Amino acid sequence: MSEPREPEPDDDALAPDAEGAAAEARARSRIEGGLLREALDGLRAELRARLPSDERGVDWMALFDSARRRLGSTGMRSLPAEVDEFGMDRAALERARPWLDALFDRWWRVDVSGADAVPRHRPCLFVANHSGLLPWDGLMICHALARERIAPETPRFLVEDWLFGLPFAQPFLTRLGGVRACRENAERLLRTRRSVVAFPEGAKGATKVFRQRYRVQRFGRGGVVRTAIAARVPLVPVAVVGAEEAHPVLFKVESAARALGLPFVPVTPTFPWLGPLGLVPLPSKWWIGFGEPIRTDEVAPDAEQDEILVWRMNEQLRSAVQERLDEGLKARPSIWS
Amino acid sequence: MTHAPGCVAITGLRSFVGQRLAERLSARGRGLRVVGIDLRRPWRLERRVPFERVDLTDPAANAKLAEIFVRERVEAVVHAAFRRDPTPDLEADHELETIGTLQLLHACAAAKVSRLVVASSTMLYGPRPDNPQYLSESHPLRGHPEAHCVRNRVEMEGLVADWVRKRPDADVTVLRCGWIMGPSFWDRVVRHFSGSLVTTVLGYDPLLQFVHEEDCLDAFEQSVLERRRGVYNVVAPDALPLSMLLRLAGKTALPIPAPLLYRVQELASRTQTGDPPAAFYDYLRWLWLADGESGWNAFGEPVYTTREAWISFVASRRMRQYR
Repeated sequence: MSEPREPEPDDDALAPDAEGAAAEARARSRIEGGLLREALDGLRAELRARLPSDERGVDWMALFDSARRRLGSTGMRSLPAEVDEFGMDRAALERARPWLDALFDRWWRVDVSGADAVPRHRPCLFVANHSGLLPWDGLMICHALARERIAPETPRFLVEDWLFGLPFAQPFLTRLGGVRACRENAERLLRTRRSVVAFPEGAKGATKVFRQRYRVQRFGRGGVVRTAIAARVPLVPVAVVGAEEAHPVLFKVESAARALGLPFVPVTPTFPWLGPLGLVPLPSKWWIGFGEPIRTDEVAPDAEQDEILVWRMNEQLRSAVQERLDEGLKARPSIWS
Repeated sequence: MTHAPGCVAITGLRSFVGQRLAERLSARGRGLRVVGIDLRRPWRLERRVPFERVDLTDPAANAKLAEIFVRERVEAVVHAAFRRDPTPDLEADHELETIGTLQLLHACAAAKVSRLVVASSTMLYGPRPDNPQYLSESHPLRGHPEAHCVRNRVEMEGLVADWVRKRPDADVTVLRCGWIMGPSFWDRVVRHFSGSLVTTVLGYDPLLQFVHEEDCLDAFEQSVLERRRGVYNVVAPDALPLSMLLRLAGKTALPIPAPLLYRVQELASRTQTGDPPAAFYDYLRWLWLADGESGWNAFGEPVYTTREAWISFVASRRMRQYR
């Protein structure tokens, strides 16, 4: 009656040793599962006793059993091998690849130029202009680098703190290779020979309103340059054209932001009006241009203490990004093509 | 083995570290004596371990401890007299963990004990959204503003650090252990993970790292027997996301939105039903991974990874159900 694994063809006949078998089955079910499974087994035995025993056709109980087993095993089957020390999940990235490809080729039709100048087979610190609410630009730069096989390892992009504080954003970005933007993390990544994509404009860049678009803001306090000097890696300026139009921020609402604990609440042509649908980025035409790398192995390793030099290099880097941006902007016929 | 002490005193003998370390050290023999100090003699303790009853919250505890240390010629002290779980009695916790440590430090100074090993936790770094991925030993201990057990321990470590600063020749080791997992360790963290349904914070899936109880005890044993001065993180060499841990164990996550979770937990802790206080869930929300590299250099690579420590815990729990 309560034989859990193989349903007998005629189980209405109570054999004399049925009780022993039932006890054995109970013991076995106890070994294979916990309390929850025991309860489910009990429920099933109860149901089976009440259902008409000569029922033909579909064996609902067997179906239920197989469904339950499948439910238990799906989790195990999709179990990824490992995550790396920053929580990036290679299996998840592999699963996301078709989606990223679709975004790259179909949605934004990204063009990449200047990739030949990027030093290969060694880690670099990529420095890009930042735009948009969500770190699509970081994802796309990393995807471009991975597709062109420029970086020795899967490159990582740095993400601002406030995004990491939002629910769902943190696991999502972490699995795809996002890392919280701070100097310790960047140094650790470069030390283990992984390229890093940084947005030194920080929140200032992400929260630019539409009329300030493609105007590169101050590059923090030179932390990027300092990190590159300390890690002896080249700085590669990167310009992203098109990302500003993916989420054009018309203006910012500061009062609501304070209540929600966010740095700002943006108003885009779609965002609060369409609800979550408003977070879908617009399909603008993108262009990612890599600039001439700035070498840091020529300066002395202790030059990171030299504030004047650091600020000069920082400004040089900023203007390199701005120049590359202006080139790209001049070359594009319209936002959408 | 050059600096092995002749007699080791262990405060908090009934704690996991205290009891297991006493067993390990007394099993070594070879002229190593162990003196246990606690409120009550643990019933499973072997007979050969002498026991002294000292209440660390007693104002005269320092004199009493110093007298024991001198009488038994104690050369090393392991301080593990900390609450395993926070209790609703905030005052008593503070008296034991902070003031008790102060008493012990005074006693060590008076009895000229040269080596001190203090049990601490990586929880003291505090779960913060602005933590770097890996926290090194030099990172400030920011604790958690609401978790009084963590706050007491941060204060405790401050006292120890001050004491070390005044005595540069003292041989003090502070071991900050990660969450301990293993077949026999039990605390509120383990209890949280021991059911088949585990409450998590909706939308957050941080990396967690554990340390296996044996690796933890190895670190303690080494710091008692050899010179390992300094502060060390004692953690396993890898980290796994919470969701993956639960999937590995075949447990089901019960994700609850953060505001609701904190509200409910607040009520539960106010009614003192023994549930973890709301602050606990911050440890399942933000990053607080410790960089164990200097610990591995000092004590050797841990035998168990986070995954193995977790599996050994899960497997032992499973076996326990069928006894």
